[in-house]
Amino acid sequence: MVQSGNRGIIRRRRVLQVGAGIGALQFASPFIIQARGEQSVKIGMIDPLTGAYAAVARSEVEGAKLALDQVNAKGGILGRKVELLVEDSANDVGIGVQKARKLIEGSGANFIFGDVNSAIALAVAQVTAEKKVLHIVTGGHSDAVTGTDCHWNVFRVCNSTVMDGNAIAGVLMSKFGKKWYFLTPDYAYGHSVQAALVKQLEAAGGKWQGSLTPIGTPDYSALLIKAKAYKPDVIVNVMGGGDQVNSIKQYVQFGLAKQIPMGGTLFEYESVAALPDDARSGWWTYEWYWNQPKTPHVADFVAEVKKRTNQVATARHWFGYVGVHTVALVSNQEKTLEAPKLAKALEGFKLPPEVALTPNPAIYRAGDHQLMSDVFVGQAHPKKAGGDPNDFFEVTDVVPGEKAAGPVAGCVLKYPA
Amino acid sequence: MDTQLILFNGFNGLIVGAFYVLMALGLSLILNLSGVINFAHGGFLAVGGYLAYTLTPYIGFWPSLLVAPTLTAILGVVIERTMVRRLYGRDPLYSLLLTFGLAFIFEDMTRAIWGAQGVPFAPPEYLSQPISLDLFFVTYYRLFMMAVVFIAVLALFMFLRYTRIGVRIRAGTLDLETVSALGVNVRALRTLNFAVGIFLAGLAGVLAGGNLSLEPTMGANVLMPSFVAIIVGGVGSLPGTLVGGLLIGVAAGLTSVWFPSASEAVIYVIMAVVLLVRPRGLMGEEGVMT
Repeated sequence: MVQSGNRGIIRRRRVLQVGAGIGALQFASPFIIQARGEQSVKIGMIDPLTGAYAAVARSEVEGAKLALDQVNAKGGILGRKVELLVEDSANDVGIGVQKARKLIEGSGANFIFGDVNSAIALAVAQVTAEKKVLHIVTGGHSDAVTGTDCHWNVFRVCNSTVMDGNAIAGVLMSKFGKKWYFLTPDYAYGHSVQAALVKQLEAAGGKWQGSLTPIGTPDYSALLIKAKAYKPDVIVNVMGGGDQVNSIKQYVQFGLAKQIPMGGTLFEYESVAALPDDARSGWWTYEWYWNQPKTPHVADFVAEVKKRTNQVATARHWFGYVGVHTVALVSNQEKTLEAPKLAKALEGFKLPPEVALTPNPAIYRAGDHQLMSDVFVGQAHPKKAGGDPNDFFEVTDVVPGEKAAGPVAGCVLKYPA
Repeated sequence: MDTQLILFNGFNGLIVGAFYVLMALGLSLILNLSGVINFAHGGFLAVGGYLAYTLTPYIGFWPSLLVAPTLTAILGVVIERTMVRRLYGRDPLYSLLLTFGLAFIFEDMTRAIWGAQGVPFAPPEYLSQPISLDLFFVTYYRLFMMAVVFIAVLALFMFLRYTRIGVRIRAGTLDLETVSALGVNVRALRTLNFAVGIFLAGLAGVLAGGNLSLEPTMGANVLMPSFVAIIVGGVGSLPGTLVGGLLIGVAAGLTSVWFPSASEAVIYVIMAVVLLVRPRGLMGEEGVMT
C-alpha cells in the first residue's frame, strides 16, 4: 500500500468522529411489536438479537410474541393492551444496561425481560432493582441470578446451572464412569456449570481434568488431543451455541465418538439442529422438550409456534412464552402493576398447565425466585427412519425441579422498605 | 507422552494455520494493491459457506467447491464496482468504515436468508474420518483442506509471477501511479485483484463449513487471526502472510497443551512482540506502509 503525501494518515479527529457515530447507533429507536396508544402496559425485552446467541435470543422473542397475542386476545393486563418493546443487547453488558435504562426511563416499561447472557442479566438486574421494576430473567443460566446476586424483583424461568448439573451428573457417572474431561467455556456460565458438576463428581469419588476455552474458539483439535491423552470415561462438553457445534462436529470427524462418549448439561435444540445428522449424540439435559405426547396443551403450543415461525418449538420459545404469561397472570390476579406487590404474589406462584407445559407442576420458589420446572434428561440421536424429522432427543428421565435444584443456596432477598 | 502431545499439537497447528493462510492471503492481496482493509472478508467467507450448503444438494459437494467461491467473487465484484471503488485513494479509514458496515450487513443478510440458527453442513462421508487411530486428528477432510490450500497458494504465486496480469498486480503493489502511467487499466486490475481475494474468502468459507459451525457469525471468529497473520508476516509480503498464518496456528496449538485459556491471547502476544522487535513484520519491507 504505497500512498504519497498524507493521504494514508488516519487523523485522530476522524477516529473520534467514527467512534461517536458507531456509539450513536446503539441508541436507535426500539422495534415496537404492537403500538396501541397511551394506556398500554409495556414489557421491555432485552436480548442479544445479534452476535453468537442470536438464534436462541430470537426464539425467546418469538415465544414472548406468541404469549403476547394470547394475552391481548383475552383482554390484556388490567383491561389494557400489552406492548412488547424489543431491544438488542448485542451481547454486551454496557449496551444491555443502557437499553434497560432507556426502556424504563424513556419508554416507561412496566416489566423488564432478559437476557440470554448471564452477565448482562446480572447487570440489568441491578438497574431493575434500583428502579423497582419486576424483572424476569428468561434465559441466563448462571447460579448467581437466583443465588448470591438475587434480588427481590428478579424471577428466573430457565434453570440454574446447578439444576442442569445435578440432573445429569448421576446419569453420566452410572452410564460411563467417574473419570471426566471437561470442555468448558471460559466465562461465568462455564465456570458455574463446571463447578456444579465437579462437586457431584468429587462427592462420588471421581476425578477429572479440563480445559477452559476462550469463547469463539473455532478449532478444538488441540483440546481434543489433550482430552484423548487423559483417557477419560466421558468428555463433558458444556460449551454453548456455535462453540458447542464446532467442538462436537470435530469430535465426530476425529472418530472420537466411537471411542469416548460425550455428555453434558445443555445441548440446546438450536445447536443440535445445526449439526449434521451423524453428529447428534451424547447424553444431555433439556429445560423443555417439544415431544411430550402425554402432557396436555403441549401439542397446541408446538403447532402455534410452527404456524408462526415454521420452526420447532424449543426451550427458548417456552422461556419467552412463560415470561409473558407469568406477568399477565400475576398482574390480573393482584389487580396492580406495583412491583413489590407482584413480587410477593409470585413467591410460590404455580403456573397453570396451559402455561407450564411440563409433566410436573412449575412453581416460582419463594426462597430465591427460581422457577422449579422439570429437567428433561436423555440421549441425542440422529433422525429415526420413519420417525419425526425434528425429533433428535429421547427423554429417559424427567427430574422434578425441586429435586434438581436442592435447597436455596446463597440467596438473601431484601425487599425495599 | 508429553513429547507426543507436543508433536501432535505442533502438527495440528500447521493444519489450523493453513486455513488462516487462505483467509489472510485474500485479505493481503486486497490490502496490498488497493489499500483497503477489508473487514467484510469474514462476511464473504460466511456467504461462501452458505452458498455451498445451498448448492450441494443440487450439484454435489465437489462442484460447489468451485461454484460457491465463484459466486462469492461475483458478489465481491459487484460490491467493489458499486461501493469500494469510490473510496480508492482516499483516507483508508473510509474503506475501513465501509467494509466494517458491510460486515454487519452481511451477517444480518445471511441471518435473514438462512436463519439465525446454524445449518448442518457436512463434507462427503469418506472424508469425515481419521486416517489412523493414533493420528486421529488428521482426518481425510483436513488433509484435503491442506491440499486445497497448497494448490490455491501455489496457483496464486504462479499467477502473480508468470502471468502478465499477475506481474501488473505486483508492480501495482509497489507503485500504482507508475503502472497507471504506463497505460495499464488500473481500475480493471483492482477489480480483478479484489475478485481473486474474495474467491479465496469464499473457498475458505466452503472449507470451514465442513468442520466448523456454519452460522452467520462464523466469519468474525476467523477474521482477527487472519489480520494477525498479515501483520506478523509483514504487510505487503505474501510469503510473509504464509509464514505468519502457519506460525500463529502452531503457536495457538502448542499453547493449548499447557494453557488452553491463553490459546487465543498468544497470537496477539506474538503480534505485539513482532511489532516491538521488528515493526515491519517478519518478511515485510521497510516503509511499505504509510
